[in-house]
Amino acid sequence: MAPIQHDVEDSELELRGFSAPVRSVGHWVIAGVGSVGKGGHLAARAVGTLRQVDIWGPRLVPLFVTIGVASIPIGLFILTFTGMVLAIQASYTLTGTVPNYFVGALVGKTVILELGPALTALALAGRVGASIASELGTMRVTEQIDALESLAYDPVAYLVVPRVLAGMFMFPVVTVFSVVVGIVAGWLTSLAMLDVTTPEFVKGIRFFFDTYDVQFALIKAWSFGLVVTGVGCFYGLQTSGGAEGVGHATTRAVVVGSMIILVLDAFWAAVLL
Amino acid sequence: MTQGRELVVGSTIIVAILVIAVGTLWLQGTNWGRKATYVEVLVLDVGQLTTGNPVRLRGVSIGSVASITVDPGGDVVRLGLEVEGAFDLGDPVSAGVIIAPQSLFGDWQAEIVRRARFPQFDYFDVPAVDQNRDTLVIGGYAIPDISRLTAAADEISQNLSVLTDRFDRAFNEQTVDQLLTVIANLEVVSSEIRNLITQQASTFEDVSADVARAADEISQASAQANTTFREVDAMLDRGDVDSILVSVRSTAANIDRVTAQVNRSIGGLDQTVARADSAFGSVQRLTSRVESGQGALGRLLLDSTLAVRAENAMAQLDSLLTDIKANPRRYVRLSIF
Repeated sequence: MAPIQHDVEDSELELRGFSAPVRSVGHWVIAGVGSVGKGGHLAARAVGTLRQVDIWGPRLVPLFVTIGVASIPIGLFILTFTGMVLAIQASYTLTGTVPNYFVGALVGKTVILELGPALTALALAGRVGASIASELGTMRVTEQIDALESLAYDPVAYLVVPRVLAGMFMFPVVTVFSVVVGIVAGWLTSLAMLDVTTPEFVKGIRFFFDTYDVQFALIKAWSFGLVVTGVGCFYGLQTSGGAEGVGHATTRAVVVGSMIILVLDAFWAAVLL
Repeated sequence: MTQGRELVVGSTIIVAILVIAVGTLWLQGTNWGRKATYVEVLVLDVGQLTTGNPVRLRGVSIGSVASITVDPGGDVVRLGLEVEGAFDLGDPVSAGVIIAPQSLFGDWQAEIVRRARFPQFDYFDVPAVDQNRDTLVIGGYAIPDISRLTAAADEISQNLSVLTDRFDRAFNEQTVDQLLTVIANLEVVSSEIRNLITQQASTFEDVSADVARAADEISQASAQANTTFREVDAMLDRGDVDSILVSVRSTAANIDRVTAQVNRSIGGLDQTVARADSAFGSVQRLTSRVESGQGALGRLLLDSTLAVRAENAMAQLDSLLTDIKANPRRYVRLSIF
């Protein structure tokens, strides 16, 4: 009987080795669907607690500062160099083939439509998303959230809603400053380093400018703010396992938030343009 | 602390809103309250002109396109041009607006011009209703954009493709051979034509020379005729004609006399001719007798032996006469006594 049992164990091991990749795919799909479901549940709870203004209202202004105002410098920093690089690359690419004012057109259009909202959101996904995930994760592993629940505070209304609202409101603001600084940086670079005059640069920006571009950028920034803060809150609340879990949650919040930003970026481009 | 945060947040949001508003207006080319003149343009088509495109006068940017609307009927496009400052165009009927690409990169412009400067364009005729309005209304014309020209070129290229295809079908090896034959024949024909033309040219040169000579001769004859006519005129003037007529009259009388003598001679001649006729008849009869062998002459002619004997006799006679001349004493003896 012993040899027979040995053969059965070998075949089970072999089957397990063969099915491991398939099982991992199934695990990821189930986990993904589960995350979507949990995220939807969290969103539904957040919407449901919007009427509890007395709980999230007082928390809003401080979060405007930490999520929005405090994030402006990093947005300006990123878009300053982005504008410079854009101007130089546009001049490098276009000089001799099209008029100089196309440098202004390219810088303006690119910064307003794409790089301003997207780069700002990616930068804030690292700063704001990670901050929210680590803060809520720490609260989760130190049972502060449980304490809130025991004090009859809805943690979603107290922690999630003000952060998401602050993100939705302040991301467009940060994006506006970033876009302006990016265009100004491109203009100054064109004046200082390139053979482009101010009238040419302005003509290029005005020539291709459309008011809808601003609306498009604000809609994208608003959706990015929702995603970054929402993902940060979600992974923060899902944290488990102590400090290591907080680290994992922070990393996931940044990675997933950035991925969703890029997907949303393509989605809005396909839908709105 | 809370008030400080609220101040920061409020300031940030207000500044952001102001930046959006001011930036958008600036990028749209707003004139920020400066005085502007509103001009309307009626055109059938605007090409790729959009709001914000520049309005130019003699190449100088003086404003921008503020609005583009299609009239309710759908037949006319009405452009609103915002021109900086007070704008006096003078005679609006003689003015027109040309809507054309500003460059090859898709930017268009509306340029205000005098119609006489570009008379080839079909400017829109502004109706009387619009001419009587307070707003200045000008007729315009949009030059077809590059896409239409490209479409036309594409159509031409398609036609060329069809032609090429048909040419390929028609131009096979047999056609080439036939063409080569035709070309060879053409060479022969052309050579012959060249020779013919050379000959004709030579003939023409000869004819021309003859004509030239004839012309010279005619010219000389004309000169002589002129001279003669002048002399005749002179003679007429001098009265020589009367003496000539007298001479001619006497000459005519002489001619009459001569004619009568000739007539008489002709009468004598008739007798002579009759005699000659009878003589010719005698000769003819004699000839016929000779030919028929009658008489000595006839026999001599028809009988060759007789002729030979006669010749021998003649030769002997000749030798006899010669001998007689040489030796007369042999045959003749003269003695007186």
